[in-house]
Amino acid sequence: MIDIVGLIASNLIWILAIVIGGTLISISVHFIPVGGAPAAMAQATGIGTGTVMLAAGAGIAGIIAAGAVMAVNQDLWVVIGAAAVGAAVMLAATMIVATWIYAYGVGVMPVSAKVKYDPITKYRQDLYVSQGTEGHGIPTVAYVSATIGGLLGGLGAGLAYYALMKVSTLPVTNLNLVAVVSTFTIGFFFINSVIPSYNIVGTIEGFHDPKFKKWPKAAIASFLASIPLGILAVVAVGSLAAVGGL
Amino acid sequence: MTEKKMIPPNTLLAFGVVGGLVGVYLAYFLAPMNPIFVFFGALGAVCASVWGADVVRRVASYGLGTGVPSIGMLALGMGIIAVLFGLSLGLGPAGPLVAFITSCVIGAIIGIISKKVVGMTIPIMVSATTEIAGAGALLILGLSIVIAGSLDFGVVVTEVVTTGFIMMIYIAGGMAMLHPHNSNLGPDETQDRLLALSAEKAGIAVVLSGFASVAGMGAIAVTMLIGLFIWYIFWGKYYGFVKRDAYKVIDVGMLPTEEEMQ
Amino acid sequence: MEPLISMGVLALIGAAATIAGASEDLESDVGSQSNANSQVQLAPQMGYVHRIYNKAIAGEPVSNALMCTIGATGALVLIKHFGFSPLFALVIGSLIAAMVHGSYSVTAIMGREASQARFKQPIYLDLIRSHTPVIMAFAFLTTFSVMIVSYLMVYSLMHPFPFVLLCFLWGVVVGSVGSATGDVHLGAERQFQATEFGAGLNASQSGNIVRKGESGLRNGIDNLWFCSKFGGPMTGVSFGMVVFLGTWILVVFDPAEGNLEGWLSNILGLVIVIVLGIWNWHIEKETREKYGPYKEDKGEEVSA
Repeated sequence: MIDIVGLIASNLIWILAIVIGGTLISISVHFIPVGGAPAAMAQATGIGTGTVMLAAGAGIAGIIAAGAVMAVNQDLWVVIGAAAVGAAVMLAATMIVATWIYAYGVGVMPVSAKVKYDPITKYRQDLYVSQGTEGHGIPTVAYVSATIGGLLGGLGAGLAYYALMKVSTLPVTNLNLVAVVSTFTIGFFFINSVIPSYNIVGTIEGFHDPKFKKWPKAAIASFLASIPLGILAVVAVGSLAAVGGL
Repeated sequence: MTEKKMIPPNTLLAFGVVGGLVGVYLAYFLAPMNPIFVFFGALGAVCASVWGADVVRRVASYGLGTGVPSIGMLALGMGIIAVLFGLSLGLGPAGPLVAFITSCVIGAIIGIISKKVVGMTIPIMVSATTEIAGAGALLILGLSIVIAGSLDFGVVVTEVVTTGFIMMIYIAGGMAMLHPHNSNLGPDETQDRLLALSAEKAGIAVVLSGFASVAGMGAIAVTMLIGLFIWYIFWGKYYGFVKRDAYKVIDVGMLPTEEEMQ
Repeated sequence: MEPLISMGVLALIGAAATIAGASEDLESDVGSQSNANSQVQLAPQMGYVHRIYNKAIAGEPVSNALMCTIGATGALVLIKHFGFSPLFALVIGSLIAAMVHGSYSVTAIMGREASQARFKQPIYLDLIRSHTPVIMAFAFLTTFSVMIVSYLMVYSLMHPFPFVLLCFLWGVVVGSVGSATGDVHLGAERQFQATEFGAGLNASQSGNIVRKGESGLRNGIDNLWFCSKFGGPMTGVSFGMVVFLGTWILVVFDPAEGNLEGWLSNILGLVIVIVLGIWNWHIEKETREKYGPYKEDKGEEVSA
C-alpha cells in the first residue's frame, strides 16, 4: 500500500496545474470553428469535422511536440510553448488547405453567417452566403479564433503533461514514466474535449458565435471533473517509482 | 419491430459486470498456475464490451449533440485513468475491483457534472456514463491481463503501457463498444444485431491482444483461437441478422424500379 | 544528431506523411466515410436509393487511429517477439491492419443499410466485393506510411513516446486532417455535381446525391476517380505540412541546445501560423472580388 495522502499533499501544485490544464482545454474547444458534417457540404462555416476529433487532433499534435521537447529541455515555458505552437501549426495547416478546397474545388468564398460584418476584416458577410446555407469556409475571424483555440488547447495539454512528468521522482527520460504520462494525458485530453462538445451541441464558428457565450459552463464542468482525475493521475504516476521492477 | 424481444438493460448490466469481473478474477487467480488461463480475461472483456455497446445504444439514441465516437473515447479515457490508479495502489487481488469501482465513480461524477453544470437533458446520462466507464475499465483489465499475464502494476506498466499496447486496447476495445451503434444507425436498427456486432468486434480485439501477449506460446495460441472462434460465430450471427433485417440482400442489381419504390 | 541527417530524416517523414494523407482521404472517398457520408446516409430516406458504399465505421480520426494502432501492434510484436526486420514487420503489420479494416468496412455498410430497410435500400453484395479490396489497399498504404513516420520519429529523431502510441496519435491527426480537408471535395462538389458550381449545398437539396455515373450507376470508385484529382492530393499536402512543419521547427532550432533555441522554435512556429493566416485572408479577399456576392444589397438600393 502506498502513501496516498502524502503523495497528494506533496503534489498539490501539480494537481492544480493539471486542473488548470483541463480547464484550458475545455475553453479552447469553444474557440475552434467546427462546422461538423454540414461544413463538409459547404453548408456551415468552419472546419468540416466533429468538435472532439478536431480538438483532439490539434491537442495531440501539441502533446507530440511537448513530448519531443520535454525529453531534451525541462524548462516549463519552453515545453508548454512548444505544445501550444504545435497545436496551432496543426490547425493552421489544416485550415489553409481547407480554404484552397473551398475556394478552388467548390468555388465558394469563406464567409460567416453568424455576423453581418467580420469583426476583424470588417468585410460584409451576409451578401456572400450562398442560398440555403449557414455560411461556408474559414473567414479570417474564424482563422484567428482557431489559432487562439489551438494555442490554448496545446497550452492545457502541455501543462498537464509537464505537471505529471514532474510528479514522479524518476528521470524524465525513463521510458515507463513517459509512456504512463503520455497515456494519461491523452485520456485526460479526450475527457476534457468531450465535455465542452456536449456544451456546444453541433457547430460553432469561433468567438464571434453567440454559442461562444456558453463557455463558462464547460469551463466549470471541466474544472470540477479535472480535480478527481488529477488526483488519480498523480497517485498512479507518483507510485511508479515506488512499485519497483521498473 | 422487434421491440418485444429486447434484452432489458439490467440483464445486460448483470451480464457485463458479473461476466467481466468473473472473467478478470478467474484469469487473475488461475494465471499463476498456468498462463493459458489468461483467456478468461478475454472472455470477461467480451462480456463488458457487449454491455458497453448496449449502453452506447441507449444513450446515443437520445442524440448527444456530437458524434457517437466521443462517448466511446470518453469511456475508455475514464477507464484508463481509473485502471492505472486502481492497480498502482498495490492492493493485490482487490486491485481490479478498486479499479472498476473507481471508474464507475468517475463516470458518475462526469455524468452528474454534464447534467448539472453543462445542462444536458438526457435523462439516463448519469447511469449511462457510470455504466460505460465501468465497462471500459473491465475491458481494459480483461485485455491487459491477456497481454501482461498478470495484473501486477509493474508488469502492466512495462508490458502494456510502455510498449504502447494500451492504445491498441483503448481503440480496439472502444471500437467494440461504439462501432456497433455507429454502423447500425438508422430507423430499423435492432438490438440483437447490434450486440452480435459488438461481440464480433470484441473477438478481433481478443485476437490482437492474444497476439501481443507475453504470457507464453500456449496463452498466445489459446487466446487467439478463442478470439477467432468468437469472431467467426458472431460474424455468422450478424450476417444472419443482416439478412433478416435488410430490405433485400442481392448479389448484383440495379436500383429498385419505380413500382418497387411505391 | 547531425543537423544534416536530421533534415534527411525529416524529408523522408514529410514524404511519407504526404502519401499517408492522400491515401487516407481516398480511402474515405471510396467507402464514403465521416461527414460527407451523412448525405449518403440521408439519401434513401429522401427517396434516393443508391449504389454507393456506406462505410460508417466511426469518425475518420477514430477509424484511422484504429488501423494505425493495430498495424503498429502487429509490427512491434513481430519485431520484439519474433525478431523480424523492421521493414518486413511494418509491411505485415499493415496487412493485418488492412484486413481488420476490411472487416470493419463490411460490417459497417451491412449494418447501416440493413437499418434502412423501410426506405427499401438493398444491400448489393457485388458492391461490397468490388469496393472492400480497394478500401483495404488504401488502408494498407495509410497504415504503412503513418508507421514509417512514427518509426523514424521514435528510432531516428529519438521521440520518447512508445512506437504504438505515436502511431495512434498520428492516426488521429491524419483522420482529423483528412475529414477537415479532402472530404469537402467529396461532400460539397462530387456528391452534388448536378447542382450549380460555386455555391454551398442548399439545405433543400440535402440527400439528393448524384446517383448516376458517366456510364451506369455511380459508385464509390467513380467518386475516388474524381477526388484523386484534387481532394486527395490536397489532403496529402495538408498532413505533410502538419507533420513536416511541426517537426521542422524543432530541428531548425533544437530545444536541446538551450532555452533560447526553444523559444526561437516556438516563435518560428508562430510566424508560420501568421503567414498561413495572411494567405488565408488573401484568398478570402481574392475570392470575394472574383466570385462576387450572391445577393443584391437591398438596404443600399433603397438609400440610393
